[in-house]
Amino acid sequence: MNVRNFSVRRSVVATVAAVTALALAACSGGGSDADADKPSGPVTVKVWAWYPSFQKIVDLYNSTHTDIKIEWTNAGAGQDEYTKLQTALKAGKGAPDVVMLEFQELPTYQLTKHLVDMGKYGANDLKGQYVDWAWKQVSTGDKVYAIPVDAGPMAMLYREDLFKQYGLTIPKTWDEYKAQAEKLKTASAGKAFMTDFGGNDGGFMTGLMWQAGSKPYSYDTANPSNIGISVNDAGAKQVMTYWEGMVNSGLADTKAYGTTDFYNGLGSGKYVTYLAAGWGPGYLASVAKTTAGKWRAAPLPQWTAGGNAQGDWGGSSFAVTDQAKNPEAATKVAMEIYGAKNTDAWKIGIDEAYLFPTATPVLESDAFLKKKYDFFGGQTVNDVFVPAYKAILPFSWSPFNSYNFNQLTTGINGAIEKKTSWTAALDTAQANVTQYATQQGFKVQ
Amino acid sequence: MTQVETRSAAATAVAGPPTKKRRHLREAMTGWLFVLPFVVLLVAFLLLPMAYAFKLSLYRSTLIEGEHFAFLENYTQAFKDPLVREGVVRVIVFGLVQTPVMIGIALLAALLIDHATSRFSRFFRLAAFVPYAVPVVIGTLMWGFLYSENVGPFNSLLHIDFLSSDVVLASLGNVVTWQWAGYNMIVLYAALQGLPREVYESARIDGAGPAQIAWRIKTPMISSAIVLATLFTILGTLQFFTEPLILQPLNPGSITQHYTPNVYAFNQAFSFQQYNYSAAISFLLGAVVFVGSYIFLFATRKRSAL
Repeated sequence: MNVRNFSVRRSVVATVAAVTALALAACSGGGSDADADKPSGPVTVKVWAWYPSFQKIVDLYNSTHTDIKIEWTNAGAGQDEYTKLQTALKAGKGAPDVVMLEFQELPTYQLTKHLVDMGKYGANDLKGQYVDWAWKQVSTGDKVYAIPVDAGPMAMLYREDLFKQYGLTIPKTWDEYKAQAEKLKTASAGKAFMTDFGGNDGGFMTGLMWQAGSKPYSYDTANPSNIGISVNDAGAKQVMTYWEGMVNSGLADTKAYGTTDFYNGLGSGKYVTYLAAGWGPGYLASVAKTTAGKWRAAPLPQWTAGGNAQGDWGGSSFAVTDQAKNPEAATKVAMEIYGAKNTDAWKIGIDEAYLFPTATPVLESDAFLKKKYDFFGGQTVNDVFVPAYKAILPFSWSPFNSYNFNQLTTGINGAIEKKTSWTAALDTAQANVTQYATQQGFKVQ
Repeated sequence: MTQVETRSAAATAVAGPPTKKRRHLREAMTGWLFVLPFVVLLVAFLLLPMAYAFKLSLYRSTLIEGEHFAFLENYTQAFKDPLVREGVVRVIVFGLVQTPVMIGIALLAALLIDHATSRFSRFFRLAAFVPYAVPVVIGTLMWGFLYSENVGPFNSLLHIDFLSSDVVLASLGNVVTWQWAGYNMIVLYAALQGLPREVYESARIDGAGPAQIAWRIKTPMISSAIVLATLFTILGTLQFFTEPLILQPLNPGSITQHYTPNVYAFNQAFSFQQYNYSAAISFLLGAVVFVGSYIFLFATRKRSAL
């Protein structure tokens, strides 16, 4: 900077370097027409996301695009991000252009009209690339509020070595699962649990209830002030009665998910199965590294023998907020960043971030379907997850999911602490949610 | 300084009434100028946000019907809300147990290190103070690990689940005591250091032992410092927030989202977007803290200089 301090020779060198740099810059940008249209340079699109290895995806995108530059912020995972997002939306500034949202959060933001309808910018062209239920999660009719990225079809991950050691067989139904759990309790003298039931995870519990055919909400954003609430329906009660039995007879542990004790249990062999979502294998590989090679995947146990009922736990999408200055560019980013044709991005997504893709072309590619996982002893675990994904039925969320999950987890956590029965907890949640919805001005049917 | 004041006072006397008024005004202006930075910060970061929060608390915003003026509706709801009541009762119980325990430990430790002036007492003073230097969040996370059932060191010996609903309040109290007892000890110790040593000597000559000196001489003489430390502890317990919020994910069944009024207000605002209701709860809590502190100060007015 301080040219005067340089010797003459040095400043010549510096000038030459600067000129070369300019020439190079001109070369790299010169070929495209974008520069002619927009002399101001690339449009910056701010993205919030918490996918693992996302920096590489951003770098990939920026190196292959001259018209758009992504500026990425990791604003925290799940609720942490939503808290910041809600505050920024309420404040009217500070929100990103494109934001990562889990499926269950979409109606919340749709209702408050903070999401841009991407259908206007061509998002409907992608409809054919996704299975029915996944596209329904992000759209209403021709209005598209987000582009799906990954999903969380469920399966049972189990420790093959411990199954052998304790003489367990792979359960196909929930009854068999309980029978194996009882066998395990005796064989391990009460040291090992069949699994850990995370009463703090609303997504996990909802996934299980989804499988049992529970439909806690009937809600359509096309008719936003009407809502049907049956949080305590037969499917939900069936699931909770089952797990109440498992927990109270000491067959399942109740450590909250995401805690040290939970990770420790997964790594130490205290839990012999882990009821996981599509992103679970990668998650497990990172939190229980020492058990690499010992795990296998099997389909989620069924309520009726021979059935194939499934539920989803998690999964996410990219939405465009109403604070986006250039919604068209933002929509382009949301559509392309993990687009079905973006095979390079998906290679990172699958191999490093362990995402379970929602786009059918990616899902059915050999790179995904035939991928062998060392953590699972070379098993092609997607053989289990892909059929589960395709069997999932549509499901609607409430436009106040934070409250919904909170009521569910508060109730079940209280039941785990033996403050009430598990089904009574669901009844309380039903009453509270109904009262809340009425207060918020909904017509509850 | 004194000279200048005397001179200016003299000048005022000579100049007589008309200029006295103007001079007084100028002095007042200078005074205001000195406190201006503080006033600006106070208004910008305390009074304005408080006024905004108060305004928020008078409105109600619903998902479907939008925002409307609700007057005291949020407050009446908060009064009737059993979850608010549960939280308030919990912090009061917590405060009634926590405050004497905390101040007792701090006083005992302060008296001990004041009595002994060995190298050990210096080490002890530092060691007891260190927890205060650890950020609350870090300290709480650390205790979270110590309380862990699988990996915590205590559980293998005692077989207690420190985070189960029966004992979790005591576990939280332990974290708070660990964090703040050292700080309170330093406050009391500093007060003890300021006492005249001759009093002890005469007490000793009159036949008082170390325990009697500590209890009958030192403790009453630092009563105003004790009152101050107690007041801070009461304020702290009523606003109990960080520790339950950090430990909540470890056992959300026992540390609920409405565990204390502050935690409840936080969740209302940032988990459920009920900013208006949250503001009302915060104001109610503020009123309770104000009244609580006032009652305490009134009850101890003879002992404290505050």
